[in-house]
Amino acid sequence: MFIVFIIFLLFCIARLLFIQFFRSKYLSSIAKKQHSLFVELEPRRGTIYDINLKPQAVNIPVDSVYATPKETKDADKPNIIKQLAPILKVDSSYLKDKLYRNKSFVWLARKISPEQSEAIKKLKLKGVNFIKETKRCYPNTYLASQVIGFAGLDNVGLEGLERFCDKYLKGEAGFALFFRDARQKKLDIWEDMIAPRDGYDIVLTIDEFVQYVAERELDKAYKTYHAKGGSIIVMDPHTGAILALANRPGYDLNEYAQASKDQMRNRAVCDLFEPGSVFKIVTAAAALEEKRVREEDKFFCENGEYRIGRHTLHDHDPYGTLTFREIIENSSNIGTVKIAQMLGPDIVYRYIKLFGFGSKLGVDMPGEISGIIREPRLWSKISIAAVPIGQEVAATDIQLIAAMSVIANGGQLMKPYIIQEIKDKHGEVIKEFAPVMIRKSISLDTAARLRKILTGVVEEGTGKMAKIEGFTAAGKTGTAQKLEDNGTYSHSKFVASFVGFAPAEDPQIAIVVTLDEPHPVYYGGVVAAPVFRNVAADTLRHLRAESNN
Amino acid sequence: MKLHKFLLTISSVTLISLLYVHQQTEIVRLAYVGEKKTVVFQELLDKNSILRYNIGRSVSLVQLGSKISGSANYEMPGTYRLVKLVPSRAVSRAGAGTREKGSFLARFFSVKTQAEAKTLNP
Repeated sequence: MFIVFIIFLLFCIARLLFIQFFRSKYLSSIAKKQHSLFVELEPRRGTIYDINLKPQAVNIPVDSVYATPKETKDADKPNIIKQLAPILKVDSSYLKDKLYRNKSFVWLARKISPEQSEAIKKLKLKGVNFIKETKRCYPNTYLASQVIGFAGLDNVGLEGLERFCDKYLKGEAGFALFFRDARQKKLDIWEDMIAPRDGYDIVLTIDEFVQYVAERELDKAYKTYHAKGGSIIVMDPHTGAILALANRPGYDLNEYAQASKDQMRNRAVCDLFEPGSVFKIVTAAAALEEKRVREEDKFFCENGEYRIGRHTLHDHDPYGTLTFREIIENSSNIGTVKIAQMLGPDIVYRYIKLFGFGSKLGVDMPGEISGIIREPRLWSKISIAAVPIGQEVAATDIQLIAAMSVIANGGQLMKPYIIQEIKDKHGEVIKEFAPVMIRKSISLDTAARLRKILTGVVEEGTGKMAKIEGFTAAGKTGTAQKLEDNGTYSHSKFVASFVGFAPAEDPQIAIVVTLDEPHPVYYGGVVAAPVFRNVAADTLRHLRAESNN
Repeated sequence: MKLHKFLLTISSVTLISLLYVHQQTEIVRLAYVGEKKTVVFQELLDKNSILRYNIGRSVSLVQLGSKISGSANYEMPGTYRLVKLVPSRAVSRAGAGTREKGSFLARFFSVKTQAEAKTLNP
């Protein structure tokens, strides 16, 4: 008996030694799995604010509904389907497909509304549970939709600044190893934890009020003139800070799944068009800077018809002799071409480049394109009659407003920017974006002289409808014919535009407005200039009221 | 003596073990309490952020604009139309001085600045 006991004891000791030395690692890992729970800690996606710290994109906590089909009795499933389908606004067959799967976890709906969540919670359905997630929401729905863009279901930026700044906004996930009780329930004690790093907040240069006014006025014109598209940019000409940027057609950021690619396109930065008469400011600047003309120098405008090679150039009104100032005020094509011929292609090209056309300005938004400007060696014989009046060239709205700002701010080409700063959740600035001067394009004197001429455009010339009550304004109208598929200029499709700044003597804002294919009226001075006037009026009053406060 | 020492050691070890077990159960109990409080706290925080979002959305220019645009043509008023309701420093200081002076004199000479009202037929 004693021997049996000794043998049994030795066997136990041997078994214990075996477990201790050979199985301990495996068994302790199983035990750890049973009483520990690995949880990934989701970081908070950064908020996007306007310049006055009004939120434009925020995260709000919402519930996602999941089911556990394996643990749910088959008898309960029809009742669950019947009650959930109307709340989740889905077809019964969809829920049936999900609930009858042989799985222990299936999503029923992600990121539902608080009302839906409350309604489902009241039902107290067995096998239907909730997980807290965060949903990206946009309080201003359609405001600056193409600029802000949107983040998808997993809080990953998919469009606009949400995508462009995703690395700053998304943050870094953390993790924690929580203890679990015997019922596998998570306890609030963790063995190990790396806290998540929340995403940084982004402060834009956009002013919500100016953005709203710009959108409102652009929308009015877009609808009134049945345009195919439209864009507007409001910018501080001295710094390049964009106060508002809107495009039409737009879309609701909270319903991005229903928007088309056309609605999502940031036309002001991504779309090229022949600028037409607004481009005459470059020729005018070149002529003044090179001291080839003075404001009162006279040019014969051929009574409205001027033949260059086999091409006949027309003015919209037959002008006789006009001064340089009148040529710009009345937007005479023939007068502008004669000035350009006097300068020669090389000088015209040099100033086009100096004003920032034909290359990217480096704006902090996705999709910026450089435009099309050909070198003089590639020009045809009639290019000198086309390029100075904004044909054979292609530019973007952002380039046009940057060029107009050169005149407004005394000759400096400023880099347009839309991100003011990036901050962490404690408000500490991580990155700050200061105004950047790209180059000095023209002299202070030339800019001042051009400002006076462009004031004349609004006071006496083609831009009379841009006159603002209580303020002076300067600018240039443009009515550019669009190219047909066969390469000829269309007589029914136009791009109407107005680029200007206000107040003329001390510019605070520069604005560009373009409307693509407006009809029945298509003149820039009639279609785009009133948009400029209304936006400038409200913006200047708003800025004045803010500075008074 | 040896037995006494043995019993003392056993008692100490048992006591320490019991304290350890008690400590562990307390930790778990507090974890449950903490978990419950976290859920309530989180729920309140969530409701707060939803509420703030809804308020922000309700007072956004888009909402206000769409409501106003149906009834009137809203535009930013010019400076000449704005009236400041904040009194200037000089006026407010003068006003405060008069009030103080009046009440001081009234107190000193027991002269009321206003006739006292009395209920005759209660």
